[in-house]
Amino acid sequence: MSKLTLDDLRKLRDEKKKAMTQRESGAGKRGVVTIGMGTCGIAAGAKGVFDAFLDEMDKAGISDISIRQTGCMGLCFSEPTVEVATADMPHVVYGNVDEETARRIVRDHLAGNALVSDHIFDKPSVDIIEKGEK
Amino acid sequence: MHATLCDLMMDLVQNSVEANATEIELTLTQAQGKVEFSVKDNGNGMSKETQDKAVDPFYSDGKKHAHRRVGLGLPFLLQTADAVGGKATILSEEGRGTLIQFCAEAKHVDLPPVGNVASAATMMLSQPLAGDLKIVRSTDVDSYTLTRGMLADVLGDLNDAQNLTLMKTYIESQEENLEKTGTSYE
Repeated sequence: MSKLTLDDLRKLRDEKKKAMTQRESGAGKRGVVTIGMGTCGIAAGAKGVFDAFLDEMDKAGISDISIRQTGCMGLCFSEPTVEVATADMPHVVYGNVDEETARRIVRDHLAGNALVSDHIFDKPSVDIIEKGEK
Repeated sequence: MHATLCDLMMDLVQNSVEANATEIELTLTQAQGKVEFSVKDNGNGMSKETQDKAVDPFYSDGKKHAHRRVGLGLPFLLQTADAVGGKATILSEEGRGTLIQFCAEAKHVDLPPVGNVASAATMMLSQPLAGDLKIVRSTDVDSYTLTRGMLADVLGDLNDAQNLTLMKTYIESQEENLEKTGTSYE
């Protein structure tokens, strides 16, 4: 790959956008995937999980889901943790998400509307609930 | 201890974000046989007393998680510096911001690898941030600079998966170019 300039990047973006609007009717975002990126998440491999989400969503052609980062979600023991909130499914926090699990979440949850049951944590830890935070 | 230097940098940048910084600058330099990085922010900063406590792994300010008894970000950095005969410094002033610097010999056998700069940078740059994040990456012979503002201007929504993939591709090409220009760290 030759070194891209910002103009190249802009062109690539326009091409992608064009392809996307041809495929879809321009609907808004269907949901958001939030990846924990505190010390615990980073140490447990959040970066690889982030890469796996990007790659698998690209492969699956999913463009109506946002990806965000947050700090520690209070579930350090089950990092990397990933929260998936989509309009048509229950909000779920997944724990112990390695790269393969991330790919499963994309294929099953985001594309197939099926929960990845063996990685679900249904609520944040107690110290966070008490403060009324998520 | 974090597996890569990128992980350490991500951790420090995350600290800056949580300290309500609006201007964050990360530099990563591999030159003259050394690896150096720094994170400078204009966030809340820390008093001298808090700085002393922040290097203790069994200290957390308790603001985010009330019952948390550990805070490993800065201790990991100091531990890494210590393990490789390097240097990590923390300069901070309450209300003004924080500057953290790390320097080590690139060839030290215990120095963690730099890691995947493109994916770490993509993650850092796409974080929710009220202001701007600037990343300056350089080697002996070449350098490149990324800012969140510049990338948001070109790409638009930085939480869009396709845009993030493009951003990563862009940064990968800058990294490849650095490698091609002939600096070897091995």
